[in-house]
Amino acid sequence: MPDWVDPVAHYMVHEGLKNTVKIAVFAVLGSTLVGIVLGTLMTIRFVPLQALIRLYIEIWRGLPIIVTVFLVYYALPTAPVIHHRFGVITGAVIGLGLWGSAQVAEATRGAVQSIPREQHEAASALGFGWIGRHRSVILPQALRRLLPPLVSLLANVIQNTTIASLIGVPELLATGQRSIERLQFEPGAHSHNFAIYLAIMAAFFCISFPLTRLAIFLERRLV
Amino acid sequence: MTLLASFDWHFIWEHIPDFWDGLKATLKVAAIGIAGSLAIGVVLGAARAHRIPVASWLAAIYVEVIRNTPILVQIFFVAGALPHLPGHPIRLEPFTIAWLSVMIWGGAYNTENFRAGFEAVPYRYREAGLALGFSRFKTFLNVTLPIGGRIALPSSINTYISVLKNTSLLTAIGFAELTNTAYSLESVSFKATEVYFALGVTYLLVVWTLSALIRFIEGRLALPEQA
Repeated sequence: MPDWVDPVAHYMVHEGLKNTVKIAVFAVLGSTLVGIVLGTLMTIRFVPLQALIRLYIEIWRGLPIIVTVFLVYYALPTAPVIHHRFGVITGAVIGLGLWGSAQVAEATRGAVQSIPREQHEAASALGFGWIGRHRSVILPQALRRLLPPLVSLLANVIQNTTIASLIGVPELLATGQRSIERLQFEPGAHSHNFAIYLAIMAAFFCISFPLTRLAIFLERRLV
Repeated sequence: MTLLASFDWHFIWEHIPDFWDGLKATLKVAAIGIAGSLAIGVVLGAARAHRIPVASWLAAIYVEVIRNTPILVQIFFVAGALPHLPGHPIRLEPFTIAWLSVMIWGGAYNTENFRAGFEAVPYRYREAGLALGFSRFKTFLNVTLPIGGRIALPSSINTYISVLKNTSLLTAIGFAELTNTAYSLESVSFKATEVYFALGVTYLLVVWTLSALIRFIEGRLALPEQA
C-alpha cells in the first residue's frame, strides 16, 4: 500500500466518518420524534390542524434538501427578527431533520390509520383517553409498521449528510476532497482523485447496503 | 411590521430574470434526465423482470451501487474522478455531466420501479400472449409493457420529481442551474434571506405544479380496476 493511504484513511475515518455519523444520528433521532408526533396528530379529525401539518410535510418534502440546508444556514442569520446563525453541524442536522420529519410524519399517518378501528374502540371501552390510547395501544402497533421505513430513512439520511459538505462540514465526502487537494502539493505526486472518490463511494456503499437489505428484510417480516 | 419592512421585495422583483435563467437550465437538465431515466428504467427493468442472463445481473449491480451511494458523490465522481481515470481519462462538458449524473441516478431507481411493475403482471397474461403466437418481444411490447408500465407509474413519478429536485446538487460542481444562480446572487448581494426565500418558493411552485400535473396524467392512465 502506498505511503499516502494511511494518513488519508485516518483523517477520513476519524474526522469525516465521525461527523457523518454524528449528523445522521441526530437528524434521524430528531426527525423520528417530531415525525411521529406530527403524524399521529394528523389523524385527529380537526381540519385546521391537519392542513397545518400537511403544509409542513409538503414544504419540507417538496424542497430539495440542499435548499432547506441553505435556508437554515444562510438565510436565517440575515432574516428580520431572527438573526441567529447556527453552527455548520447544527445547521445540517436541522436541515436534514426538517426533511426527515416530513417523511416520518407521512409514514406515521399511514401506519396509525392502518390500525383497525376496533383497536381504538376497544381501548376507549377500557377507559383510555386519547393520549393513553395512542401511547399504550395504537402507537406500539403502528411502530412495527414504521420500522422498515425508519431504517430506509437512516440509509437515506446517511447518504444525504454529504450535503453538509457544501456548508463546510468536514464529513466523509469533504475530508476525501480535502485529502485530494492536499496530496496535489506533495512532491512528485500524481492525482489521487480517482482512488479517493472510489474509496468514498465504497465507504458509503458498505454503510448503506446492509441498511437497505435490513429494511427489505424487516418489511417482509413485519408487515 | 418591521419583519415585512426590512424584507427587500424590490430586490427579488429586480432579479426575476436571473431566477428565470436558472430555472430554464434546471428544467432542461431535468427533462433530459427524466426522459433518459424512463428509457433506462423500461429496458433494464424488463431485463430484470425477465431474468435475462448477464444483463439482469449487471442491471442489479448498477441498481445497488447507485441506490446505496449518495448522488452528490456520484456527481463529483463523474465531474472529478473520471477525468483522472488511470490510463483513459474521460472529460465531459459541464452540461453533459449535469444530465448524465441525474439520469444515471434516476435510471437506477426507475429500473426497480419498472421491475416491480413488470413482475406484478400476472404470468397468465404473458402465457396468453405467447399462445396467440406473439414472439417474446412482441408479448412484452403488447402485454407486459402497457400493463406493468401503468402499475409502475406512481412510483416512477416520485422518481421523476426526485430527479428534478436532485438537479439542485449540481450547484456543487458550479453548474449554473437554479440553486447555483441563487448562490451566486447571494454572494454578490449578501441578501441571503431574500434570495433563498425566493429560491425556496420557486422550487415549491415547480415541484407542486409538476406533482399536480403528473397526478392528473396518472389518473388518466391508471388501470381501470385501480381507478
